[in-house]
Amino acid sequence: MKWLTIAGITLCVIFMALFEWPKMDRHQKKEKAAFVTIVAMGWLLVILLLFFPEMPGPTQMIDKLFKPLGKMLEK
Amino acid sequence: MIEKGKISSFQMALLIVPTIIATAVLVVPAITGKFAGRDLWISPILASLNGFFTTFIAYRLHKYFPKETVIQYSGHIIGRLPGKAIGLVYLFFFLHVCGIICREYADFVIGSFLPKTPMTIVIGSLVLVCAFAIHGGVEVLGRAAQLLVPLFMLPPLLFFLLLQDFKIENIFPIMEHGIMPSLLGAVVPQAWFSEIFLISMLLPFLTDHEKGGKSSMAAVIFSMFILVFTNIVNIFLFGGTVSAYTYPVFTAFRYIGLASFFEHLESFVIAFWVLGIFIKIAVFYYAFVLGTAQWLRLSDYRPLTLPLGFLVTIFSIWVSPNEQEMSKFLGTIIPFYIPTFMTFIPMLLLLIAIIRKKFKKKSFTT
Repeated sequence: MKWLTIAGITLCVIFMALFEWPKMDRHQKKEKAAFVTIVAMGWLLVILLLFFPEMPGPTQMIDKLFKPLGKMLEK
Repeated sequence: MIEKGKISSFQMALLIVPTIIATAVLVVPAITGKFAGRDLWISPILASLNGFFTTFIAYRLHKYFPKETVIQYSGHIIGRLPGKAIGLVYLFFFLHVCGIICREYADFVIGSFLPKTPMTIVIGSLVLVCAFAIHGGVEVLGRAAQLLVPLFMLPPLLFFLLLQDFKIENIFPIMEHGIMPSLLGAVVPQAWFSEIFLISMLLPFLTDHEKGGKSSMAAVIFSMFILVFTNIVNIFLFGGTVSAYTYPVFTAFRYIGLASFFEHLESFVIAFWVLGIFIKIAVFYYAFVLGTAQWLRLSDYRPLTLPLGFLVTIFSIWVSPNEQEMSKFLGTIIPFYIPTFMTFIPMLLLLIAIIRKKFKKKSFTT
């Protein structure tokens, strides 16, 4: 099942690339690099989350940062 | 400039109103009700003070740097490297908040209307629609707002069908325990009002700059009226028990029934509400996409739309494991988290800008 999800996500990524790639011309090297980096980041994050769904996320980080203030509102 | 489109200040106000109230009508009355009880309706008025303050800050900063967004002028104010750091923090903030909004939307829609649909589909489809809108640029967003926001404003009128169920005496005594409960209740909505700082991403693209401040103030006032109105209706209907419901405003719509024929209006209401949340997600998502392109100094932001939407979808699933933790986060952390980025940091930036302008007039060029 997990491998099927990975295949689906990869298909999604390929569709995204097919949609955007022809629209960038040859001089836009920086755009292409940014595109590839962001897509790779997203793809890796999906796979990580698929295998470790309990991975602490950004919300936990923010939660730790603002906990002392948040205590005032707990009821 | 990356963005070539232009919008009018009226369109900007229309973009900002749903950005404040789309999720505020959804979750805030329940959280405010916990603190304020019967004085629920005073809280949005107090909370809107932060909205005015934030508008003032954003507009003053815009006056200093008329052609730039917050990602760009933070570099001018505090230097190149710290500016980049602040920009990165802002990008993370936009991404995270965008994920939170998508999650609120998904929790609500799945919980009340589509219990069997996977969350990825619910969020992914909306993000995809937003991505197409953003691909068209800010002009498309402005036109979409012009078309959709008037429809989004229709549901509050439906409350008049509830007139026979209203119990006016529920609202009394006003301020039974002084102003403190409504002040505590205002802590949560002020986070939503501080989201008006997103005008700093839209102000550079206005055709009529001089009206920008006025129309943003009007947007804050209008959102305040809508929130006060929905809260008063909630008190008339439920009295002090508003906080017992997760989504009190939508529960109120379920009460509408005329001659046992005109019923289940909540399905209409949710269809109209989705228009509002579409604008809200699109504005945050647009800020995120445009900000990323400006942070990386790209020549175009369009190629980044879909990959960043992909990230937003992942984050919306990652932000919280379940609905309970989400509502705890919304109730305790968000009231400090969003204003830190939307009011506090801009305030510091404005102070530094003012001081720098006073002391070295020559080197401080925009």
